[in-house]
Amino acid sequence: MPERNTPQKTLESWKQIAAYLDRSERTVRRWEASEGLPVHRREHEKQDTVFAFRHEIEAWTRRRTRFPEPISADELESLPALKPIPNAYLAEHDAITRTMHCYIAGARAGDSDLMRPAFHPTATISGYCQGVEYTGSVEHVFQWIDQNGPASNITPRFARIEIIETIAVVHLEVERWSGKLAGANARASDVFTLLKCNGEWKITHKLFHWHDH
Amino acid sequence: MTKSEYLTEYDKIVQTMQKYIDGSKQGKSEIMRPAFHPDASFFGYAGDQLAVGTKFLFDWIDKNGPAPNIEPRVVSVDILDSIAVVRLEVSGWSGNLAGSGVRMSDLFTLLKTSSGWKIIHKAFHWHAAERSQAA
Repeated sequence: MPERNTPQKTLESWKQIAAYLDRSERTVRRWEASEGLPVHRREHEKQDTVFAFRHEIEAWTRRRTRFPEPISADELESLPALKPIPNAYLAEHDAITRTMHCYIAGARAGDSDLMRPAFHPTATISGYCQGVEYTGSVEHVFQWIDQNGPASNITPRFARIEIIETIAVVHLEVERWSGKLAGANARASDVFTLLKCNGEWKITHKLFHWHDH
Repeated sequence: MTKSEYLTEYDKIVQTMQKYIDGSKQGKSEIMRPAFHPDASFFGYAGDQLAVGTKFLFDWIDKNGPAPNIEPRVVSVDILDSIAVVRLEVSGWSGNLAGSGVRMSDLFTLLKTSSGWKIIHKAFHWHAAERSQAA
């Protein structure tokens, strides 16, 4: 199997296709079945193997970004049923809220794997935690989320979504945080900065403020 | 936050932003560095190139040199206790790297630290060249 970072025109397994799209294997299999993700098969005696051409995947991604499909409820929080997108602003707005719902789903489940796709790999965080100023890598968010565990009653609200072409800021108000680290009934204000990278909105910075009880 | 508290914090935030503006105008990163948190980050696209990190920003400002005709406007200042968001629109950018008549939109997030409000993150959008009205 070729090295992952070797320039190659084909992706040689579900695992590679999933990694290329930064999604789970389950998701990309579903995309093939329901949204026409271009995946090819080689026939073998025992079991077929799959492969995909990068240029076809990229073309599909561009089409999909222009004409976004709803995200399934089994992976992310259920969103209101999408109607045909009447203008470019709504397409970007909805793409941003889909990214944010990855964060929310991960926070609710206490599972950082659900929120990782929402973040740029070199994203950072900053804010105050119990009165102490904190800055660092987004990896600390992932560790915190996993250690905190489920926070099934969180109530997130979008207080602001502002988009300027390739950059955006999202103010999220989250009430009823709970868990091993959050305690009970905590409230956080988060300000996320996002960048549109290769057609996908990624969080580059999370600024947080925990409110006093 | 009461109105007078908001205005007090607003003025401190705008003072921090002024260091960024002054550094931009004079093409001297040393003027804007105090406005930034030591762990600040920076993201955006300069054309097709992804620019990352405050080192990139400070080097760019120094190499760009003076941009005496920039027109900065504070579009919004939102304060949530210890954190804040500032949107800045700057038109009339010029210089060795900027070219001329360039418009930038910036989203800054700030953190209130023991040494005042500091920029912790800057995201920018470099608008595609605008045709001069006079042309």
